[in-house]
Amino acid sequence: MPIYIDIVLRLLLWLLLAPLLPGVINKVKAWVAGRQGPPVLQLYFDLARLWRKGVVLSTLASPGFIIAPAVAWTAVVTAALLLPLAGTGAAFSFDGDVLLLVYLLALARFCTAWGAMETGSAFEGMGAAREVSFAVLAEIGIITAVLTLVVQSGSIALSSMFEPLSGPGAALLAVGLFIILLAENCRVPFDDPNTHLELTMIHEVMVLDHSGPPLAMILHGAAVKLMLFAVFLAQAVLPLSELPLLISVAALAGSVLLITVAVGLVESLTARLAFKRVPLLLTIGFLFCLFPLILTWMGES
Amino acid sequence: MIAATLTLCGLGLILAAGVARTMPRIWLGLTVWAALCGLYAALTILLTGEAWLWRGGFALGGEIPFLRLDGISALFLVLVCVVGGLGAVYAHEYWSEHHHPRSAPRGRCWWSLLTLSMGLVLTCANGLHFLFAWEAFALSAYFLITLENDRVEVRKAGWLYLAASHAGTMALFAFFSAMAARTGTWELGPVHDQTVLAPLFWLALAGFGVKAGMFPLHIWLPSAHAGAPSHVSAMMSAVAIKMGVYGIVRFSGWMPMPESAGWAMLAIGCLSALLGIAFALAQSDIKRLLAYCSVENIGIILIALGLSVLAVQHERPEWGKAALAGVFLHVLNHCLFKSLLFFGAGSVLHATGTRDMSRLGGLWRTMPWTAALFAVGAVAVSGLPPLNGFVGEWAIYQGLLRAVAQKEAAAGALPAVIVLAGSGALALAAFAKAVGIVFLGAPRSKPAATASECGWLMYVPMLLLACVIVAIGLLPGLFFRPIMGVVAVWAPQWAAVDPLLATRTLGGVHTIFACVLLAGGFLIVRRIRTTGTRRNLTWDCGYAAPSAHMQYTSGSFAGIARGWFAWLLRPEIMIRRVRGHFPDQAMVLERIPETVLEKIVTPSARVAGFVADGAGKLQHGRLHLYILYVFLGVTALGFMILLGGV
Repeated sequence: MPIYIDIVLRLLLWLLLAPLLPGVINKVKAWVAGRQGPPVLQLYFDLARLWRKGVVLSTLASPGFIIAPAVAWTAVVTAALLLPLAGTGAAFSFDGDVLLLVYLLALARFCTAWGAMETGSAFEGMGAAREVSFAVLAEIGIITAVLTLVVQSGSIALSSMFEPLSGPGAALLAVGLFIILLAENCRVPFDDPNTHLELTMIHEVMVLDHSGPPLAMILHGAAVKLMLFAVFLAQAVLPLSELPLLISVAALAGSVLLITVAVGLVESLTARLAFKRVPLLLTIGFLFCLFPLILTWMGES
Repeated sequence: MIAATLTLCGLGLILAAGVARTMPRIWLGLTVWAALCGLYAALTILLTGEAWLWRGGFALGGEIPFLRLDGISALFLVLVCVVGGLGAVYAHEYWSEHHHPRSAPRGRCWWSLLTLSMGLVLTCANGLHFLFAWEAFALSAYFLITLENDRVEVRKAGWLYLAASHAGTMALFAFFSAMAARTGTWELGPVHDQTVLAPLFWLALAGFGVKAGMFPLHIWLPSAHAGAPSHVSAMMSAVAIKMGVYGIVRFSGWMPMPESAGWAMLAIGCLSALLGIAFALAQSDIKRLLAYCSVENIGIILIALGLSVLAVQHERPEWGKAALAGVFLHVLNHCLFKSLLFFGAGSVLHATGTRDMSRLGGLWRTMPWTAALFAVGAVAVSGLPPLNGFVGEWAIYQGLLRAVAQKEAAAGALPAVIVLAGSGALALAAFAKAVGIVFLGAPRSKPAATASECGWLMYVPMLLLACVIVAIGLLPGLFFRPIMGVVAVWAPQWAAVDPLLATRTLGGVHTIFACVLLAGGFLIVRRIRTTGTRRNLTWDCGYAAPSAHMQYTSGSFAGIARGWFAWLLRPEIMIRRVRGHFPDQAMVLERIPETVLEKIVTPSARVAGFVADGAGKLQHGRLHLYILYVFLGVTALGFMILLGGV
């Protein structure tokens, strides 16, 4: 298959499937609470409507207020393209692409913080400050997980890096990455994506003043990012590359769905953490990634 | 050809120093011309890979002059020429005759001398002449830092710089003379076979490390960089501290290394990277923030250099070369984005008269060029793709990750990767804060509201730097070729090994990213044109009348991370709370001390001074007591001889 067709197909897959995940989470939450809940495709309808809407800009906002969401969205989608999908490999693969992935996500974070600072509001500045500060711990956790995979596989390219650990190491890494997934995607117990007021302390507060097509880009980018983390987590702990192609793809899809349901269940069964505990939980996530690193290291040598 | 251009360059600078006081335009022309000549010579050497050597036929101070320009010194010469030329253009408007009639002529003269002496530091291959050039460089930098010598804090910063710099030079005197004594010649060159020289590297590390600003020898750096005029800060931060890096790089390539040198550099690098950026994040003075960020970047360079030294000991070119390429690329990158950022900070200072971020804000409206270019620099310095900062850190990470993958040097490489990731994320926080507080939102003071954009002489140098930053990001393959030549000069034994850095693919992905971004940006702007926009007050969950004072400030933005590092930063916060029914004005004052200087160096200097005072009391001028000293001394000697049986 020519490379550009491959890229276009992957792009379509990521762009079209990603908004499904928040829908699934909401459905799970509704189901646990005994409600009917919004349709699974609700985010698609929302995105289509936002795309048609006009934009209200703050009087303080510069052109960067519109460009920043576009940069953030592009960065997340490019990062997604770098990630291999089970047996099919990645669109591009080269030594050190994993770092590009981590830093593209950082670029998206920079742009979101930029957008928040544009409005000159205390509330959004607070969100930006929290996002960039907590991300320090989350990034340390991600890089530790990457180190574990590097030690395990002896490779520094994503396409050959996913050689899952066995037994306790894999379980610990799964827990660690799941905690980081919750933090980076601003889910309960770190943040509450349901409300728009004081309860939502980090991500939602940064995008309060966005509207119309830029908001659609932000929401879609957030969905892609959630899917990216779920795909990364699934491949880091499950031996998907050893299965036949079709089965591995199906297994990947199934495990992403499972992770999404797990996010929904966590959200239904736990409350948002007291704000001061957030760094503590993130540190625990980092430790859950550090132990498998030590385990792998000791096991190898 | 190279000899001719270098002579032209040197002559141009000497002439420029001569005419600096009276003819500013001719000075500018000569300086730019000299910079171009030097740049031509340096680029020729980088592209052809052949070193240029010249030995004089006469003695100077008892030694025959010996000049050498090879790949490593040519790379650093590029930095000197780029900032030397662009800074001169920038200063022509920023530090103009009109605004600074007394200090501007002096500043031009010292600028030429500083550029010249740094060029000599890079070319001198004779230890004695190197020391002369080094001293001339240190002194001219001192006079540039103290251009505004009517301000007390500038004079203090200048003295601190001078004292620290000379403490370092003392170590270098010891280093070079010990080298000359052991090798029998002052001429510098590879001495790998003389393993007895290895311990001397610690002297070089200390002496050059002071100049490089590595933690904890960085004490002079923040106040000197913040107090100097901004073009001088750019020169200091982007180039002058690199002279220290040059020394460490040069001698770690030439000398036999002590067993633990690689580990020590890795550890110092980690310390500098993490603590430097923690200090940076907590600052509310924009130039101090940039200065501390330099400490972080020197740390990153040292991490990579330490790893390269370990790679030499392990004989592992496959990760050593990647790390080394990262060292040299990051040296170049840091020069580009740090001078851009200091120029940007200078424009802000020029327009508003303040460096305090808590009094700025919303400057994008009145200073769009500065805001956009500073933002490019901020993205680059945070190591974000698709700009140059990421490319350099990517190479360094690859060196570290390959060492990890081969399960070697793990005790160093594993923590270094984690530190690098953490300091990268903190750098992002620091620069999201700098850009957000200074350029976005609403103006926090009157000068910020009425600022005006700098003239073209100030933003064109910034624009040129930004173009190179983008070019390295999008075409890393083009820039890696000469860098690999420099690597081959440092480690000739690895010349045949391919480091397998996928720079072309990386450049391709960066280019695709940039194209998609352009297309996406175009799409969304067109979309918004059709759907229409309205302007209104910031909504923010329904504030009716938001005010500029309600915005997050620099202190509150850094609050969380500052809390994590409170054990080190020891912020001094003074609060006057709102009290009673008719309260006075409330306020919060916050100061982040330079902990190493104020809590360690100053107290120990006080103790040393106390001891010295006590010893000074022994010398009082009373003859009969001196006779008593002599008598006591002779008696003590007599006892020693009697009891020791000598």
